[in-house]
Parts: sequence; C-alpha cells; structure tokens
Amino acid sequence: MIRRDSLYRRLLTWLLLPLLALGGLMVLQAWMDARRTADRAYDRLLEAATLAIAEQVQWQEQRLWLDLPPAALEMLATDAEERVFYALHDAQGRYVTGNAELPGDPREVGERADGLLYRDIVWHGLALRQGVRRGRLEDWRQRERFEVRVAHTREGRERLAAELLRGNLAYILTMAALAVVILLLAIRAALAPLTRLRRAIRARDPRTLSPLALSLPRELAELRETLNDLLARMRRVRANQERFIGDASHQLRTPLAGLSARAELALRQDDPARWREALEAMHTTSVRTSRLAIQLLSLTRLDNPEYRPELASLDLNALARQAVRTHWNACHRDAVDLGVEASPAPVTIMGLDWQLEEALGNLIDNARRYGARHITVRTHASPPTLEVEDDGPGIPAERRLLMLRPFHRGSDDHEGSGLGLAIVDGIARTHGARLILGEGSGARGLRVTLRFPGDTP
Amino acid sequence: MRTRAALLLLWLCSAPLAAAQERLHYPARPEPGQATTGQLVIHGALDLGHIRPLLASFHRQHPDIALTYRNLDTLPLYERFLAAPDEVDVLISSAMPWQYRLANDGHAQPLDSAAAAAWPDWARWRQELFAFTFEPVVMVVRRELIERFGRPESHADLLALLQAHGDALAGRVVTYDPSRSGAGYTYAIEESRLSPRYWDLVAAFGQARAHLVDTTGEMLTGLAEGRYWLGYNLLGSYARQVVERDPALEMVIPDDYALVTQRLALIPRQAPHPRSARRFLDYLIGLAGQRVIAEQTALGAVHPGLDGPGTADHLRATHGEALRPLALGPGLLATLDDLKRQALLARWRREFSRGGAAGD
Repeated sequence: MIRRDSLYRRLLTWLLLPLLALGGLMVLQAWMDARRTADRAYDRLLEAATLAIAEQVQWQEQRLWLDLPPAALEMLATDAEERVFYALHDAQGRYVTGNAELPGDPREVGERADGLLYRDIVWHGLALRQGVRRGRLEDWRQRERFEVRVAHTREGRERLAAELLRGNLAYILTMAALAVVILLLAIRAALAPLTRLRRAIRARDPRTLSPLALSLPRELAELRETLNDLLARMRRVRANQERFIGDASHQLRTPLAGLSARAELALRQDDPARWREALEAMHTTSVRTSRLAIQLLSLTRLDNPEYRPELASLDLNALARQAVRTHWNACHRDAVDLGVEASPAPVTIMGLDWQLEEALGNLIDNARRYGARHITVRTHASPPTLEVEDDGPGIPAERRLLMLRPFHRGSDDHEGSGLGLAIVDGIARTHGARLILGEGSGARGLRVTLRFPGDTP
Repeated sequence: MRTRAALLLLWLCSAPLAAAQERLHYPARPEPGQATTGQLVIHGALDLGHIRPLLASFHRQHPDIALTYRNLDTLPLYERFLAAPDEVDVLISSAMPWQYRLANDGHAQPLDSAAAAAWPDWARWRQELFAFTFEPVVMVVRRELIERFGRPESHADLLALLQAHGDALAGRVVTYDPSRSGAGYTYAIEESRLSPRYWDLVAAFGQARAHLVDTTGEMLTGLAEGRYWLGYNLLGSYARQVVERDPALEMVIPDDYALVTQRLALIPRQAPHPRSARRFLDYLIGLAGQRVIAEQTALGAVHPGLDGPGTADHLRATHGEALRPLALGPGLLATLDDLKRQALLARWRREFSRGGAAGD
C-alpha cells in the first residue's frame, strides 16, 4: 500500500490500534462475564431441580426408588422451553431411572456442603449444561449413596448472556467512541504547533532570511533553531555573493574605464602612430579584461554547489606535459624557465581535464606574473599529486589563506585579477583534492600542491 | 432406552380404536406444465375416518404431492420411528408424553412459518411440537342408568353414585386399565395429580367391580351392546361419533373437571421430504386445515381464529373452567418415568383391590 506518510496517521494508528485491541479484550471479558453470570443464575435451577429430585429418593423394595416430582423438570424447562434430561444413578454408577443415560462427572465433589458439580457437555449433538448432585439416603438403616444427574439445553442462558452482553456492549462502544473522539481532538491539538510552523514558513517572503520568531513546544523549538541556523548560513552565503558581485563589477569597471579613457585620448590626436600605440594598449587591456571575465565565469561555475561534473579517468603526467607545451612560448618570451618533472609511473586520477588545465594555467601564469624565473610542474604517484613550484617572491605564511579569497591580491599589482588562486581552490574542491600552499625548495618562492584522493596502483 | 420402550409395549396401547396397519394413498396429479411432484409420508395414530377429510382437503390444495398415510398404534408408531427416523415426514400421535419425549430428545425440526408463529403458546413447544386437536376425556352413560339413578354430571356425582349403588352397578362400569393402556395411565397420573379424591374414585371402581379394558373402542362397543351402563374416561372425539348415532347413549363432559388431550404433530429432523412436510404441518395448523377439523371431524379445532361448534373456543365457552388440557411441558416426561409408573400402578392396584375387598 503506497500512502503518503503522515504524522497524524502514524499517531492515530499507534494510538488507535492498542485502543481497539483493548476494546476487543473488554468485549471478550464482557462476553465471558455475561456467560458466567448467566450460568450462575441458571445453575440455581439445576441446584433446585436436583434437590427436589434428591428429596424424593427413597429405599423401597430393596432398591433405590424415586417418585419423580414433575415440578423439578418444569423448573429446568424454564420459559425458554429448554430440553430437559434427568437420571438417577446408584452408588456404583448404575442407571436406576431417568429419560436419558447422562454421562457422569469424573470430578470429585470437594468439601462443599451442597455437593454439586456443574459443567457444559455435548450429548448426542446437543450442547447441555449438566448438574450432578451426590447424596445419600438418610433412612433408619440405609445409608445408600446415589447420584442425581440433570441437564438442560443452554438457550435460556445464551439469551440471558446475550442480553447482558448487549448492555455491556452499548457501554463499551460508547466509551470507545468517546475515546476515539478525544484521541482525534488530542492529536489535532498536539500537532497544531506544527501547522503553525508550516504556515509561518509558507507565509514568509522568499527573499527574507531573517530568523523565525515563533513560540513553539520544545521538540519543535529545536527544529526552529535548526532552521534559523540554516537561514543564518544562507545569509552569510548571500553576503559573500553580494560582495563578490560588487568586487567583480568593480574589477570590470576599472579596465573598461581605462579602455574608454585611452580611446578618448587617442581620438584627440591625429598621428596614426599614436593611434597604433593606443590600440595596442587597448588590445592588452581588453585581453586582460576578457581573461578576467572568463575567470569570473569559471569561478561562479565552480562556486555553484549544484554543479556536479562527471569525472573521467585521466593521466596527470600527460596533463602536466601538455600544460608546459601550452605555456612554454609565453614563458620563453619572458625568459622564464618552465619545466616538468613527471613521475616515472603514470598517475591516473578521476578528474576533468579542462578544469585541471585551467588550474595549471592559472598557477603557471601567476608564477610568471609575480616574477618567477624557474617554474617546475611536478607530479607524484603516491598519493597522486600535482605541484607547481616557482622561485618568485612567495607568500608569507600568515597571508596564504587570504590568497584563496577572490579579488585578494598578493601585492599592489595591477596585472592580476586576484582570482587565480580562488579558481584553483574551487577546482581542487570539485576534485575532492587538498590545496596546500607552501614554500618552494630553499625556502624561496611558492609551491602549490594539489593532493588528490585515492592511490594509484 | 430401546429396551425400556419394549417393556412399555406390554402395557401401552393408547390408540383407543386399535387397528392393524391401515394405509391411505393419494397419488400425485401434477398440473400441466408443472413438472415437479413432491412426496409426503405421514405416520399417525389417528383413525382413517378422522384423517381422511384432512388429507383429501390437503391433496386438493396440493395435487402435486403424492401422499401416503399410515395409521399405526401409538407405541408401534414410536418404536418404528426410533428404528427408522428418516422414513417419515410428519409424525402425528395422541400419546403426548411419547411425542414430547421425541421432541425433547431433539428428533424434531422447527417450523418457521406465519401460522406457527401465530399458534397459541399453550398448544406448542419450541416451534417443534404442535397440538392441533382438542379432545375432552368424557363419560358415556346408558339411558337405563340415567333413568334409575339420574345423570352423573361430575366426578363427585359419579363417586357418590358408585358409593351408594356399587352393588347395583357391579360389573356395569367400564374404564381403562392403566397398567395396559398408555392413555389410561396418562389420565390416571394426571387425575391423581389433580386431586387425592381420585383414589376414592378408584376404590369405588373396585367396589363396583369395574371392567378394565384397553381402548375407547372396546368401551363403546360394550356400552352400545348394553353390557355396560357407564364408561369412564373415554376419548371424546371417538365417543361423540358413536353417541350421536345411538339414542341409548349419552355423553357427559364432567362439569368439575374434564381432562383434554391433544394430538401432537412434529416434523422429524431427518424427514426425507421436509418441504412437503412443512407445507402439510402449515396446512394442519392453518385456518384451512383447522376449519376442516372443526367442520368435518370430531377432533376439535384449536385455531384461535375459529369459534363455533367443533372448536376449542366453543368447548371452552360451554364448559369453561372444567377443562384441563394436559400441559404440553416437561411434566409429560415425568409421566414416562419407570419408577413413577410402577409406583402409580402399584397404588392404583392397591386402591382398586381395597375397594373390591370392601365391597365383597
């Protein structure tokens, strides 16, 4: 059965089921009680009938003798027109007289004064209630024992029991109905704060991130606090985003303003050589700006928590060599020595080639830009590691973490966007890799290490 | 139980007009287009003369049912039923204790119909046993006795008559022998329960050297022939027919008390054709069957919707308080108790011979 889970239904089920079971038990108990009461009432008739018969038992003509009183049988018949049976047996259990050879009762009469035994029997397909009285003659000389057995059908008893049960049942049903109503109201009342909370959340402006202020019972107050925590985190994230957007627009505005100023200046002059100079300058600025825009884009993409790229198997050695090939020309122009130290074994990881290429590109670019003379791209097999080391100025240890924030520049440098390391950090996170900023060999320069999870075989 | 029933055979013969097995058969005449025909087997202790109008009327109403009626004496009826309880559809008997015992032992099936529900409580037991006739137990006297001693109107009159003129009536009085007749025994036990003066009456019978016979039929024959002047405890339904034809006889329903016996009908649990059986019993206690009983037989109709001659209501209106129907209840079982029977018969013989000894 597919059904939407509901607290209300769950509570109702777990409260109603035991209640119903309890009600069933009560009905069973009432039924047994009714039967017992009816039996007790009607057993009096068996008692009276056996007594009336026993009183008529005599010793006559050398044998037990009975002058059967018809009233004894009338008594047993009751107004329910029961079928009646009786029998007189002697001390040895031999049948003396009667209209049915009823079975004896194997039980012993205790020390009870009336000496009566009752039980339910099935005799020739009839459900009967039997009463057995053991008595003895109180004659001058005769002390003969005898047994009077009587039985009648159970219809009167069952009618009385049904009547009693009906009375009890009405009572039990009323109580059950009352209990169910109270239960429904109680559950509804208990779940009301939940509804209030739901309404409060639903009624909120989607842009509002202010904490919920709502008095709730303890269990729900915890939920409210958790929600408020989440809201606080979302507030922080949004503040970050707002700052990022502010920084980004600021970053873009500066080169754009420079471009337009440079163009204006060039237009005022007539010398084509000046124009060319201006155009070259503008070209450089626009290249930088477009690079900035690309970096901003990739950073936004990396920052998106919904972004889950599909990783593919790739070899870090190949990646490192490719990056060196790509950037060798630019470095060579600046007289920077770019080299690769690949691990002898292939280093295979799960990753996105274009992201890692970009990360390497950023790192190499950064190193070149900040005045390194030697840049080494290195890979290690175990654990899979990608390293870029330079001999540039490096970053003081206390500022390394700050460097990972977007738009934070190492120095008053106008060339970089301050996004490079932030992007590398984002890429590292996408790959589940650890980003470590350290000193280069000989306590100089900067070594950026990306340590990937897992082991290569 | 069977052996004791066999013992009873020695003394029981409660069908007053003893008859060998008599049989009536009405073949089915299915109406055109009606394919099914039913069967119905009835065993009854009821003379063909009494049952014939009923059967004929039923057969007219239900021509598709092939009907077989066997008239048996009460004890053979009882014995035969116990031997083959799946042979018969409706069991009718005037031996009330035996019929009651069959029903009590669970041999009968209930009839659930409107007629059964409307049937008076005093004439049924558990929807299983239905008393459908109302027959007073009467005295029949000859004109000679009335002329000489006057007409005895009550048991007290009879006792006085017997005590005063026991010698004159010696050998002229007839009644049941309770040790041989089931009906006679049933009446004796009932009368002794009604009043201890019954024993005086028995003693007076002894004094008058009463003849003891087995059946109402024997008494009626003797009375008609003039051998007896007074018959005591005759079955009214049989006596009425004879008395009506014989001007020398008169029927007396005692005005102090008159026992009333009733024929009991039941459907055995193992009846082979229960549908037909239910239809017949329904008819028997329905207005139609009861009207036939009132108008064409001397059995006496019980149906509360009928009044007029031949009905219980009519008899009640004329004899009122005196009528004592045998109670249809477990008291009847007490009647069947062996020891009780022996005790009662011993007492009866003692009282009878005491009177006889005193008379001699």
